[in-house]
Amino acid sequence: MKQITIISGKGGTGKTTLASSFIKLAHDHIAEDCDVDAANLHIMLSPDIQNNEDFIGGEVANVSDECIQCGKCEELCRFSAISDSETEIKIDSLRCEGCGVCAEVCPVDAISLNPEKQGEYYLSDTRFCPMVHAKLDPGAENSGLLVARIRDLAEDIAVKQDKKAIIIDGAPGIGCPVISSLNGVDYALIVTEPTLSGISDFKKAYEVTKFFNIKTFACINKADINDDNTKIITDFCSDNKIELLGEIPYDEKVPKNLSERRFIIDDPESKAGKKIKEIWNILKDKLYI
Amino acid sequence: MIISVASGKGGTGKTTVAVGIAQALEFCQFLDYDVEAPNASFFLKPSIKNIEKVSMKQPYFLKETGADFSRCAEFCHFNAVAFVKGEVVFFPELCHGCGGCILVGPRGAVREKDVEVGTISKGISKPGINFLMGNLIPGSMRTISIQNKMNEYIDRDGIVIIDSPPGTSCPMVTTVRNSDYCILVTEPTPFGLNDLEISVEVLKKLDIPFGIIINRDGIGDDCVENFCSNEKIKIIEKIPNDINIARAYSRGTTIVEYQQQWKDRFLGVIKGIEKETN
Repeated sequence: MKQITIISGKGGTGKTTLASSFIKLAHDHIAEDCDVDAANLHIMLSPDIQNNEDFIGGEVANVSDECIQCGKCEELCRFSAISDSETEIKIDSLRCEGCGVCAEVCPVDAISLNPEKQGEYYLSDTRFCPMVHAKLDPGAENSGLLVARIRDLAEDIAVKQDKKAIIIDGAPGIGCPVISSLNGVDYALIVTEPTLSGISDFKKAYEVTKFFNIKTFACINKADINDDNTKIITDFCSDNKIELLGEIPYDEKVPKNLSERRFIIDDPESKAGKKIKEIWNILKDKLYI
Repeated sequence: MIISVASGKGGTGKTTVAVGIAQALEFCQFLDYDVEAPNASFFLKPSIKNIEKVSMKQPYFLKETGADFSRCAEFCHFNAVAFVKGEVVFFPELCHGCGGCILVGPRGAVREKDVEVGTISKGISKPGINFLMGNLIPGSMRTISIQNKMNEYIDRDGIVIIDSPPGTSCPMVTTVRNSDYCILVTEPTPFGLNDLEISVEVLKKLDIPFGIIINRDGIGDDCVENFCSNEKIKIIEKIPNDINIARAYSRGTTIVEYQQQWKDRFLGVIKGIEKETN
């Protein structure tokens, strides 16, 4: 069984458009959405939820009436989550990382750490394959941990059902959810665009995949909006032995089809859709061996 | 006044808007809080005067002391310290740098060192934009350590524009939570709407006033406009879909440089926000 994660660095380059197309074209596979705080894959796959679980991410400190306001907890909290006014100690649950230092130093045991539900994760059926996805509560922490949970769930099901591939839609950026979505995968596909931002973020994403020693592919979306920049990306790929799977042209049919919840690969007039199918044909030989 | 520019969905035009507003204002402070993928410098082209390293504290364990580190492993809420066969094992990628292991561990046998997680660059973009940009080292997960450090440099006296990372989790919250107003940039597609809805929930929870800018207006459908009118959310500006704006963006040309009218339109946006937040 092979796993591939689609990332980008810069947001909005087309990760979900590609991931959903691949998921429709693939067989014997599982779909996974690791962009847990701004998930979009479900919009294309319309999952039918079979099972949902609460995500208990971390703990949050709570202070009780026994507090004597000695101020020790505030002094030692490294996340500025505790404020000590004249009248009370207050804990900011959005800043609290749940480390437990405050509870440890409290001389009267007035602080407790309580597990907090920070989201949900789901196992669903779709018309193409099983899907594993999640919803982090708005503003919550621990997205990396939630990604790790759904990765475990997908791998379990893949083994039980003898699946051949897991196709993972990743998050933008290069931080904890992205790193968690790359942990132990066979391949990464970086989707970029020929803009100065796209190039910079592509290189950063590549540094991360290189850091974790993951075989990396690339493709350039909206490749024809700036030929010079496309050339810079192409050169960077060949200098670093990143296999470039294709260049997708700018195509206003992409958002139009999206608005009708139609797959771009099913639009016979879409140039972008045609190219995405070609990219899949290269990729599938690497996934199914 | 602090105005943050956020989105939920990535690539909707946060940087386009944030940079456009800063250029329209000419004199302001600009902070790029998208430290995982900072891009504003390609447009504002600041001359960087100073680059500061940002580090976090990380423990190291003096094993040669023969001390018993089992309490550190029991205490660590992030499982960054383990105790296996009488030996302490440390997983730096899980460490939050809370200092708990030093507090509970054998006295003097757990020490701390500074580990670099990124940088903050400071400079000036003409004519008078005081520019700051955070930059996370690839492989590090301490996005908010850099953002928290940047908070110390916010100069509340003038207008402050903050470019937020995408998403709706902790890096976005850390960015917007100090602001007096948040501009949410979205695109009129089901993806844009879905992520806008979550961002709106976050801002309501944080009790921060906000308004919407629709970018690439004309692609997709009416879903965002319908949502805004149902929820009584103000659409403060619309940027039309124009491949020439996208081409200009790709070269590092800002929308204000590309079409002069955007200077006045963004000043109008700021005026409206000032009126609303009083």
